[in-house]
Amino acid sequence: MHPRERLPYSPIEGRAPLRLPKGVRLVVWPVLALEEWDMGRPMARMVISPPQGQPMLPDHPNWSWHEYGMRVGFWRLRKVMQKLNINPTVTLNARVCETYPSVVKACIDSGWELNAHSYDQVPMHKLDDERAVIDKSMDIIEKFSGRRPRGWFGPGLTQTFDTLDYLSEAGVEYIGDWVLDDEPVTIETRHKPIVALPYNFEIHDIVMMALQHHPSDEWHGRAMDHFDVLYAESAERPKFMAVACHPYLSGVPHRIAHVERTFAEILSHDGVVAWDGSKILDWYLTEGRMRDAA
Amino acid sequence: MNFPKPSVGMLPNDRLDYSAITKRKPLKLPKGARMVVWTITNVEEWDPTQTMPRTVLTPPAGGSPMPDIPNWCWHEYGNRVGFWRLLQVYDDFKIPGVMNVNGSAVNAFPDIVQACVDRKWEFVGHGFTQRNMQKVENERADIRKSAEVLEKATGQRPRGWLGPGLTETWETPDILAEEGYDYVADWVLDDQPVWMKTRGKPILNIPYTQECNDVAMMLIQHHKASEFYERAMDQFEQIYKDAKGSARVMAISVHPYIMGAPHRAKYFRKIFEKIRKKRDVLFWTGSQIADWYMKVGPKPQ
Repeated sequence: MHPRERLPYSPIEGRAPLRLPKGVRLVVWPVLALEEWDMGRPMARMVISPPQGQPMLPDHPNWSWHEYGMRVGFWRLRKVMQKLNINPTVTLNARVCETYPSVVKACIDSGWELNAHSYDQVPMHKLDDERAVIDKSMDIIEKFSGRRPRGWFGPGLTQTFDTLDYLSEAGVEYIGDWVLDDEPVTIETRHKPIVALPYNFEIHDIVMMALQHHPSDEWHGRAMDHFDVLYAESAERPKFMAVACHPYLSGVPHRIAHVERTFAEILSHDGVVAWDGSKILDWYLTEGRMRDAA
Repeated sequence: MNFPKPSVGMLPNDRLDYSAITKRKPLKLPKGARMVVWTITNVEEWDPTQTMPRTVLTPPAGGSPMPDIPNWCWHEYGNRVGFWRLLQVYDDFKIPGVMNVNGSAVNAFPDIVQACVDRKWEFVGHGFTQRNMQKVENERADIRKSAEVLEKATGQRPRGWLGPGLTETWETPDILAEEGYDYVADWVLDDQPVWMKTRGKPILNIPYTQECNDVAMMLIQHHKASEFYERAMDQFEQIYKDAKGSARVMAISVHPYIMGAPHRAKYFRKIFEKIRKKRDVLFWTGSQIADWYMKVGPKPQ
């Protein structure tokens, strides 16, 4: 389906405001992404290009760069989250359950929500059978954790025009792929509707660090600029601030301090809480329905 | 130097001769003002079945998969949320707005158009879709359709034009003049308006900017948000200085999906907190600049 068939254009101005529970005005949604970079393929991202720029297979240097995130960076991020009492949504390639079971187990032990992120870090367009990969990903994570994921992020947020229909059939209740609003929105599928939670490509370490090459302290600088504006606006209507972290980017020594002070400063404000996707969804399913019925 | 001439249209220097800004007769603004600032908001509709005009996130391992829903959503955010954040700044500082708008966007985002009609913004033709003018099948039809859809929605035919991505063919200014446009802003070659020859009547070019433009600064050069403010102030202070004796024009150009993001919007606001109260600076629309220049500037040759 064409995206506008799923969700007509609607300006945020003039929409009836949603209401968060008493005392809450802004919800931070921390998202921690765990990926599997298959050595047999070109790497999902690169920090270093080979001499003369020729792509190479296997790409050991960039594979190792990502692997560092799983061996070291993740644990550094986990410490920060635990110190600040944050339960992020963990979006993971299902294959991570097979290759890094100790990492997934640590997330489950911490009580973190697991959200499905396809099987490995390959765009949805490149899959031969999208539906089969979606089902398989959901099944693997369900089997490993005992719970079927409620949410989904596509690798690189990619979708085809059919992805949402398959996701709905597979039991996905919310996605983070649609960065088009400051509030959750309900989108149509050929099966049951799905909720798109407000995610963004602004406070997103891949965009900021790997693609736009900002200095490490901009992690904090941009996040605080973003927060300041949303916090002021949250006096009038609830605001949500997703923050996307990848262990190979945000978990490195020169960035981690900026990650920690960002979350600490944001969460020290009155009326600001950190919720995972599942919790935002539950709130919206009740509150959104009440607003739409009104 | 002589360059081979195109079979249709003209080379740039056949439209206007080189001219040093310091050697011209001084231009005077009303009431002793030194300079004009015009602020342009670009509203675009991106077709989800086509390649996106710009992207913020590339897919894993690169390439350009179709459809590109993530980047389509990113642009849609600008129209659902970002635009309204910028509009608040225009309202708070009473800045006369100018909107470059794709013809198709006029119908896609009626709330945006209505909000700007209510505020008496100027609407500028910006291609029927956000596609390079060199790739548009029928340039004249596109330019005409853009004017018609704007006239229908706003009651006024657009007087100005800015090509999508400032793109032109050799013939674009000729077609624009023939289709009744008074000015174009594609040529970022001066701090003052200039007359350009066409095969019919001349057309005015108004100073636009790739410098204080969020596409160039944020998406291509990857500066941090505060640099939009810093650069605008540096640009402003220098043009203000330069405008002693002869008026100059400064443009600021933004897109809701870029400057309307929360972390950037505050720096857009900060610019006007700083410069809006200057008494000898005029905040005008493109049409106001054109009318002034047509009255006081040199006549076209």
